Amino acid sequence: MKEINPFHAAINDPGGLAAGIKKRSGKILGYMCSYAPEELIHAAGFHPMRLFSSKSDICLAQNHLQAYCCSLVRGVLEDSLAGRLDYLEGMVFPHTCDSIQRLSDIWRLNTKFNFFADVVMPTKLNTKSARTYMTDVLKKFKTDLEKAAEHSITQNDLQNSISLFNRIRRDLSRIYELKSQFPSIIKGTDLFAIIKGSMIMDREELAQRLETIVLLLEKKDPPPYSGKRIILAGSICDMQDIYKLIEASGGSVVADDLCTGNRWFEGSMPENIDPIEALTARYADRAICPAKHSGNTTRGENLLALADTHKVDGVIFATLKFCDPHAFDYPYMKEFLEKSSIKNLHLELDDQQQGLGQLSTRLETFIHMI
Amino acid sequence: MTDTDKKKDKRKIRAAKKMREIMTTYYLDAMTARENNKKVAWITSGGPVEPLIAMDIIPVYPENHGAMIGASKMGEELCIKAEEMGYSQDLCSYARTDIACCKVNGGPMGGLPQPDMLICCNNICGTVLKWYEVQARHFNVPLFILDTPICHTDYSREVESYVRRQMDEYIIFLETAVDKKFDHDKMAEVGRLAFQGQKLWQKVLKTTTHKPSPMSAFDAFFFLALIVTLRGTQIAVDFYEELSLEMEERIQTDISIIPHEKYRLLWDNLPVWYQLKWLSQKFSDHNACLVADTYTSAWCSALKYIDENNFLDSMAQAYTRIHLNIGVDQMADQVLDMIRTYDVDGFVMHSNRSCKPYSFGQMDIMNIVRKKTGIPVVMLEADMVDPRSFSLSQTDTRIDAFMEIIKQKEWVR
Amino acid sequence: MISAGIDIGSRSIECVILNNGKIREMRKIDTGFDPIGQAKQLLKGLEFDTILATGYGRNLFEIEHEATTITEIKAHARGAVCFFPGAITVLDIGGQDSKVIKLNESGKVIRFEMNDRCAAGTGKFLEIMAQTLGFNIDTFGIEAAKAKKDLKISSMCTVFAESEVTSLVAKGENPNEIARGLHIAVVKRAVSMLNRVSSQGPVVFTGGVANNPFIREQLARITKREILVQKTPEMNGAIGAALIAMEQNKGKEK
Repeated sequence: MKEINPFHAAINDPGGLAAGIKKRSGKILGYMCSYAPEELIHAAGFHPMRLFSSKSDICLAQNHLQAYCCSLVRGVLEDSLAGRLDYLEGMVFPHTCDSIQRLSDIWRLNTKFNFFADVVMPTKLNTKSARTYMTDVLKKFKTDLEKAAEHSITQNDLQNSISLFNRIRRDLSRIYELKSQFPSIIKGTDLFAIIKGSMIMDREELAQRLETIVLLLEKKDPPPYSGKRIILAGSICDMQDIYKLIEASGGSVVADDLCTGNRWFEGSMPENIDPIEALTARYADRAICPAKHSGNTTRGENLLALADTHKVDGVIFATLKFCDPHAFDYPYMKEFLEKSSIKNLHLELDDQQQGLGQLSTRLETFIHMI
Repeated sequence: MTDTDKKKDKRKIRAAKKMREIMTTYYLDAMTARENNKKVAWITSGGPVEPLIAMDIIPVYPENHGAMIGASKMGEELCIKAEEMGYSQDLCSYARTDIACCKVNGGPMGGLPQPDMLICCNNICGTVLKWYEVQARHFNVPLFILDTPICHTDYSREVESYVRRQMDEYIIFLETAVDKKFDHDKMAEVGRLAFQGQKLWQKVLKTTTHKPSPMSAFDAFFFLALIVTLRGTQIAVDFYEELSLEMEERIQTDISIIPHEKYRLLWDNLPVWYQLKWLSQKFSDHNACLVADTYTSAWCSALKYIDENNFLDSMAQAYTRIHLNIGVDQMADQVLDMIRTYDVDGFVMHSNRSCKPYSFGQMDIMNIVRKKTGIPVVMLEADMVDPRSFSLSQTDTRIDAFMEIIKQKEWVR
Repeated sequence: MISAGIDIGSRSIECVILNNGKIREMRKIDTGFDPIGQAKQLLKGLEFDTILATGYGRNLFEIEHEATTITEIKAHARGAVCFFPGAITVLDIGGQDSKVIKLNESGKVIRFEMNDRCAAGTGKFLEIMAQTLGFNIDTFGIEAAKAKKDLKISSMCTVFAESEVTSLVAKGENPNEIARGLHIAVVKRAVSMLNRVSSQGPVVFTGGVANNPFIREQLARITKREILVQKTPEMNGAIGAALIAMEQNKGKEK
């Protein structure tokens, strides 16, 4: 499908993409966590751009972060120090994990971008006071953005951004739905490109492209699928080859619980209430990241529900090495799955990892086993 | 007794015996809580213990337990057990050993007394949140989370009001858990004792500004247990009163903790619990005394935010603005301040695989210290409890080379 | 005065005898499993007025021979200054670890950095990798230089790298290219440590790995700095120790 080519182009050269956006529409704010309020950034007239590691060798970041820090955090710092992110106007750090929290300090002390904001969201999301606090934080961030943009963000600006992002969410959800219904309708690597591209491309352009893709997919008459249905669960999965390997082994990712996937786009924001309240509702109620809290078994239950809805044959956990929040959740989520007799496999990934030899053996064996 | 033995004996801190007795009584109380109709709460080391004391709930500290496991060299075995349970080797070794202990009733005391509730304050790390979720599932008991947003650059009004509101939620949580009304008068009294205890702890730590130093960070690591576990009680106040008197006496009678203090060092990060003896001997052999550390001083670093007469209201700020919950540049400022206060010749940093929020940013702190003071800095790679992350020979060489640099400086005493 | 320096490393032991500061004899032996026994073997028949030990086994040696000791950091620094007066940056890649040492104008160590706890980026790492690829360690660098293109090796953990290398071999990749990738990975790791300590000026490169021509070449290419290597870089620590032994002894005579 040629309509997907722009997505592949975007993810293969995010720097080039950013340069184009900067030229056309102005200033870019980077972020690394799906709790960054993109709608606010967009409403202020900035382009929200999610950062991934370019996976270059870690040299400069060695002077700031020890080897037991995850490859995402080290990789993005490396890119920044090496000047590969010079297109940024600035950076936004929502509260995430201990590592990103410290990255925020290191970034503030060692880089010279015009804009910098810590958006310290609550860790706890299931209480009234936490929601009030979140609203306060969002309001404060709005003020910071207004100062940087040198104009105020009107209710209307914010409403427009919210409805734009709702459109994007709706279409991404629809593509996921179709993928689950007809796994052969779209290749895993294409789906990966769409999702990753959606986090970096110009959002207006993106909304249109996604609409087109949904229309095209809905017209397709895909052959019936007889392979294995897989959920990919974990932190971020920035490895396109995993999708390829799964398909080569006779499986297909029909749903995910990833920060670069369902957790980022699922649900929609109410459009008929105060926009800041709408943002609060969305960020407090969305599928939760393990660095946040809303009950002790929420994530396990979510995963079971996902497995049930999508009638999956197996779950593949893909987590980044040295990612503490996910490493803590893995044993109980595995136990939850096993109690429901759902087969699972754990892959510990590293952005710097090259050889897929061992990975492909494990994936192939797992998929043949289920 | 030989002469050297006598001298060694003279150097011993007498209060250590008392401290062991107090800790034994404390753990016995906790172990027999159920028989005495008392409730037990597990709480994080940076958590607000005062309301528990006011409610007559016995606080138990898994982190203190982790330190004991480390010091008794049971860390490796329990870490391996946790790894068998599916917990990655890269996770905090306090968490790993504690989680494993619950499974096998292991550790130096055969496991901790079971909790009736869990109190988790994330001012020290995000790890405690995940760790306490694991325990909440395991014991199936209520979990209260005190969410203290990190103050990278400032302590904002929003944070203050969020944390203050949670203090009220905390009290309601406790009232429900033990089914009795919160006694505000008692809380005020506990608050005063907590304040006094921390003041005294600060006083004890400050005695090491004296040259030669009457105690070292290795002693502080040991004496820390009371200000953590029994903060807010008369027992802690009395004990630190006694300890500070003993330190004064040592200063008056010229008893130093190491025989020939020539160099004074500052330690950063948690102790390497299973190598305390070796490390302390190693530094002592170089005539170097670790006179202060950033870790044990964290239990009095928020004193400036506490209002002795309105403890409850000042708690939000005092518990949010602690050493680990601030920006790296502010942490560096505290280090610089300690370098001046204690007049140290070198800075020893423990890069602790178990503690990411303490260790990431250390390299920036190291550069700031180098730039602003010029004192030598060494980074030792280890882990607080898991000995598999420690290499004796490499650490040995690093310390020797670091001391070679310190010794060649003419300006050193 | 005859002074001796002995560098008891994890892979090998080197001994140097100086006659009033001039090299008279150099010896080398594998450390094996009995460093003290091997050291004795190495010293057999040698006579000297004073001896100083360095390296990982220095403390064992100290107890056995009542010799004074210094760390290999100080020893390598002293050795480097002897061959290259005015040197202020020293890179030493030995068997078990690698380090960067910074000196002031008068040759005193003012700072050092050492590699992580694991063996990555050290002589031992290259040795294991050479073995995995079926090359002789002595010609490993020459083999790597034969490759035309880079094969990126990312995993610098010896264990992971070994499996990475094995799977590359299984994929039919050219062993020389893999060797080249491994060498470059080692160099990059050293460069990052170098940059932490100093970013310009010549670098004195010592330790056994400095004998590897490809490592030297790549180090110069990537750092764009002059790389200075003396004829017997693996002896540098022992030479430094012998020099300091002589200086200390002179001090005593006064």
